[in-house]
Amino acid sequence: MSETLKQLRGIFVSLRLTVVLLALSIVLIFWATLDQVNLGIWAVQQKFFHSFLVWVKLGSLQVPVYPGGYLIGGLLLANLISAHVYRFKAGWRKSGIWIAHAGLILLLIGQLVTGLVQKESVMRLDEGETKNYAESSRFNELAIIDVTDPKVDAVVAIPESLLASGTVIQNPKLPFKVVPRGYFPNTDIAMRSQAPAAAPSVVTQGIGLQVTTSPVDVTYKEDARNMPAAYVELVGPDGSLGTWDVSLWFNPEFAPGPFLGVPQKFDFGGRTWKLVMRPTRTYEPYSVTLEKFSHDIYPGTDIPKNFSSKVRINPPGGGEGREVLIYMNNPLRYAGLTYYQQSFDPNTDKTTILEVVSNPSWLVPYISCGAITLGLLIQFMIHLVGFARKRRSA
Amino acid sequence: MSSRTFPLALAAAALLLAACGEEKVSTYEVPKEKDPEVPMAAPDAASQAPASPGAAMADTAVPTASGDALAWQAPSQWTPKPASAMRKGSYSVPGEGGESDLSITAFPGDVGGELQNVNRWRGQIGLGPLEPGDLESSVHRVEANGLKITIVELEPKGDPAGKSILGAMVPFGGSTWFFKLMGPGISVKAAKPAFLEFLHTVKAP
Repeated sequence: MSETLKQLRGIFVSLRLTVVLLALSIVLIFWATLDQVNLGIWAVQQKFFHSFLVWVKLGSLQVPVYPGGYLIGGLLLANLISAHVYRFKAGWRKSGIWIAHAGLILLLIGQLVTGLVQKESVMRLDEGETKNYAESSRFNELAIIDVTDPKVDAVVAIPESLLASGTVIQNPKLPFKVVPRGYFPNTDIAMRSQAPAAAPSVVTQGIGLQVTTSPVDVTYKEDARNMPAAYVELVGPDGSLGTWDVSLWFNPEFAPGPFLGVPQKFDFGGRTWKLVMRPTRTYEPYSVTLEKFSHDIYPGTDIPKNFSSKVRINPPGGGEGREVLIYMNNPLRYAGLTYYQQSFDPNTDKTTILEVVSNPSWLVPYISCGAITLGLLIQFMIHLVGFARKRRSA
Repeated sequence: MSSRTFPLALAAAALLLAACGEEKVSTYEVPKEKDPEVPMAAPDAASQAPASPGAAMADTAVPTASGDALAWQAPSQWTPKPASAMRKGSYSVPGEGGESDLSITAFPGDVGGELQNVNRWRGQIGLGPLEPGDLESSVHRVEANGLKITIVELEPKGDPAGKSILGAMVPFGGSTWFFKLMGPGISVKAAKPAFLEFLHTVKAP
């Protein structure tokens, strides 16, 4: 083995690297905690932990200034595994240490997988309502829906990231091209009649003619939602059909008045189409019905004491459903998803908001913590027994 | 595995996993979904909406009313709130049970008629809809400054802690103006005399 490789191996298996990485992670966590005031928890996770490098804006430049969670975690994992491979000696005397370290390795890998594949969404249900989809609280999509069929809606869902990148979308299910002409991650809206000085917009069709859409700063607040809007031009074989403003403001769930909830529809190619900007939906083969929502508050305050949702799971075949009570710290786990009681609509007290989490590696932390405990216990017992024997023989 | 190849393998695995999350256009069919229930303006009002150049449009949004505005004088203890895009006026009304929200909005036409508007408000505080025959007994009509005001008071049954609505509808200049005070029952009840007095200050410009 060449000198350089030996040196590299020396670095990777060294305990010094472990200490440096742990120190770096302490600083990272401290910094991220402070920055949570500005960015909110989700953006902090993305910036500090779900990244290889932490980028900071210096003037107009983005500069990497610190290793991110993936880099520190990845190096820690490489360090741990290399040290094991290098120093491994078979034998039961160290078995506890091996088991504990295997648990730690599993924990790190589990966190990486969680960071990459975990999906969080929200299911909002009124009493008596049934839904078979959850909606993202971060991401949105433009749904172009063929509503001609009286029984079925044919949906083409375009993620907002494609609108943002200006990608022209041509889909075999659509008789026209979708050409993004502008995208704003967060906007404010006003009636055009009340803003006579507003600049003319590129919109030629739909509700967008009656409103002005103005870009505003992206929000990171926990209790606020970005209201994206996009201008999309639809281009058929014979030319443009027009440019529409598609905005989350036109979605009745978010619209300030009852009127902007009117869907934007148009006829083309003998079919009726609907354009809706909406939170990204994930459909499931089963559905969930909210049977009753209960909400208690501490007397004389608005502070929730407990809230719970009695839901019915309706399986795909249409068989007998089952009733489940979801309340704080008692989520429902079904078909690989976990439904947590997250919130409710304080205006009606009849609407529950469930957080739906898909995390295939949710069991990993339990298994790894179990392995670490077992490993430490075994190692302690080995020492204890050895010590007791020595003492007896002395 | 040597100590050198492992970090590389790890980075490759991370990239592969990250690639799974790439966003793509998806297509699928779902059972017909109903459009959200939106109170539609009466036909004569719809014709006042700016005509859309898109002749193929199956329907068009109903704008907020843009004609002459009503004027009013709010009590000094009500705190004006920043006007939002859809509100003509907005106040925070203090009360023992907590603050109530007064919103003033206006929309063209009769917005589906009194019954539909009352039922929409009833729905907002969890009350069932009224039958057409029950409307007259649950509203109170007054006239002030030449305006016909229909007042409706709604409180959830048997739930003193629930939200109440004290609302008024005022047809004016081809539009309907809505004054809606919504908040904790006890606060709304206490604010009722001030609200009624306030309604009498509403007048045409």
